Amino acid sequence: MNKTAFKIFLCFTCTAAVTATILMIINFMGFAFIGSDTHVSVGGSSPSTVLEHISGALIQTDSGFELSDGDIIPPGCWCILIDENGDVAWSQNKPEDIPHHYSINDTARMTRWFLNDYPVYVRTEDYGLLVLGMPKKSVGKYDMVYSMNWFDTLPRRLICVFAFNLCLASIFAFIIGLVLYKRLYTFMNGISDLRSEKKVSLKERGIFRELAKNINKTSEAILRKNAALASRDRARSNWISGISHDIRTPLSVIMGYSEELAQCRELTVRTKAEAITSQSIKIKKLIEDLNLISSLEYDMQPSKKSRIRLCPLIRRVVTDIINSGLSDKFEIKLDLRDEAAAVSADEHLLERAVFNLIGNSIRHNKNGCKISISEYSDSGAVYLNISDNGIGVPNTVLENISEIPKTSHGIGLPMAYKIIRVHGGRFKAENNNGFAVKIELPKVLRDCT
Amino acid sequence: MEELKNKKILITDDEPELLKLLYNILYDGGFYNVYKAQNCADALKTAKEQSISLFLLDVNLPDGDGFSLFENLRKFSQAPAIFLTARGEADDRIRGLGLGADDYIVKPFLPKELLLRISAVLKRVYNINSSKTSFELSGRIINLEAASVIARGEQLMLTAKEFILIKKLWENKNRIVTNDALCMAAWGEDYYGCENTLMVHIRRLRKKIENDPSKPVHLITVKGLGYKLVTNNE
Repeated sequence: MNKTAFKIFLCFTCTAAVTATILMIINFMGFAFIGSDTHVSVGGSSPSTVLEHISGALIQTDSGFELSDGDIIPPGCWCILIDENGDVAWSQNKPEDIPHHYSINDTARMTRWFLNDYPVYVRTEDYGLLVLGMPKKSVGKYDMVYSMNWFDTLPRRLICVFAFNLCLASIFAFIIGLVLYKRLYTFMNGISDLRSEKKVSLKERGIFRELAKNINKTSEAILRKNAALASRDRARSNWISGISHDIRTPLSVIMGYSEELAQCRELTVRTKAEAITSQSIKIKKLIEDLNLISSLEYDMQPSKKSRIRLCPLIRRVVTDIINSGLSDKFEIKLDLRDEAAAVSADEHLLERAVFNLIGNSIRHNKNGCKISISEYSDSGAVYLNISDNGIGVPNTVLENISEIPKTSHGIGLPMAYKIIRVHGGRFKAENNNGFAVKIELPKVLRDCT
Repeated sequence: MEELKNKKILITDDEPELLKLLYNILYDGGFYNVYKAQNCADALKTAKEQSISLFLLDVNLPDGDGFSLFENLRKFSQAPAIFLTARGEADDRIRGLGLGADDYIVKPFLPKELLLRISAVLKRVYNINSSKTSFELSGRIINLEAASVIARGEQLMLTAKEFILIKKLWENKNRIVTNDALCMAAWGEDYYGCENTLMVHIRRLRKKIENDPSKPVHLITVKGLGYKLVTNNE
């Protein structure tokens, strides 16, 4: 559970870090692409193209220069030609604040930058310098100078930035992931509590608000249903115990008088009275089992558990069976390995289970058989195997071992099965050269009772 | 035996039919001093008037339950009590015995069983020993009262543990008694792992009660389970 949440947390952190890094690369590339687009356009073409056209359309005449096509200069722009002496030899649309003469210093200052705040582009010709002026504040010009060292160390610095970014992304992802993990952890616990049908109340806030709400509602629904089921089972079980209680007193009277009648001298009366007595004893046994069976049917937990050593219990049951007159045709072989092994159980119920299993072997093998009982344990469980070399039991009995039959006939095995199951044990029955049952019960350590 | 039958017994049950039956059973069993009560008030009244030797109390009574009636009776009488109940639940059983009741009988019961239980409680509480206190095994007489064995005119004394063991085995004669039950009787609650000690005591006991201790015929080992006292005459 903890492991799962941790796994999710780890996956989340890695994914988030990788995502952040990929995003950074894409952003960087995108930014570089957009940033590199510094193209300036004048009437649909770049200033240098315009200048090229102008130089092509400029015709030198005797009186000076003349533009063959006046429309070549885009609107709002102007153009001048500065000759070798620094004088304006030709001009078109020249604003008032543009001087007529340029010293070498003026030229050097203006060529790449601005002329009286007009952004200018220049083109050198044999006959002079063509200057294309654009409207004020239409173009920004910045100086970009890189040393060669900058280019040489660029990959290294990029890797550094990249690594730093990865680290930062990881840290952020870790912090967010931790918050998520904590939240997720409570959810994991909540769901696992839900599975074991415990009450779950998660805090309904944050991004998982709806989820928490749903889990809480589900838990409430399960609890409500369980309570309804429990009260129904309790009512039924109370009814059964009430009925069995009410039958006991009249049955006492019947048994009392039938035994008295059994002392009658007349043989027919005596036989009848004896029949009444023996049938009454059968009813008595049924009543005694009734409560046990009804509580087992609803998988009720045994109410009186205590620390029970298995070996004395097995010996007691076997001794009782032998003492009550077991035929010589049967042989019971005991192999009890771990005398100290103890389980937490209702002693009476566990005795009943062992008694039923041995009794089952005896009842099914009228011609006798050899019954082997072995007990051993490991660190967590106590094992009890009861097997015989008899004829085994029908397969239908094995298939329906977890179902309490509708009549008291054949109740021994299902009862034993249920008893072991309500004690948190495992029960495996099979036909293997006779009938064999393997029982595994959780072991109770010495110090805890 | 007469002493036992003369004891006064008070029976309480809210069911008149059962009360009548109980009275009949006891009467037929030789108890002639039986008093009846159908509720707590009657029972307390009778108990104060008569010196009752044994109470047979139903748990369900119209004006209270048998447990509280028992507690009230205990205030002035130390006579033993047996609970008679239609409730078979182990909780009731434990509660009844926890209060200090001497026995607990679940309905329905056979009259013979009831008489046996009543007699057993009376015998135990009033120390009336009607059972045999000595028996014979192949010419050796084991006297439980004197804790001794008389063999060939010679008297051998039994140790305390040997006495407990032979008594326990005699009470369950011709039946297997588990190691655990014997250890429990001789060494009490914490009896785990005393099988070897038990074996030593059994060996010593055999030397006293068996003619040939290496080939026991009376004190038989039942391998893996316990021991059995085999008597010839019964």
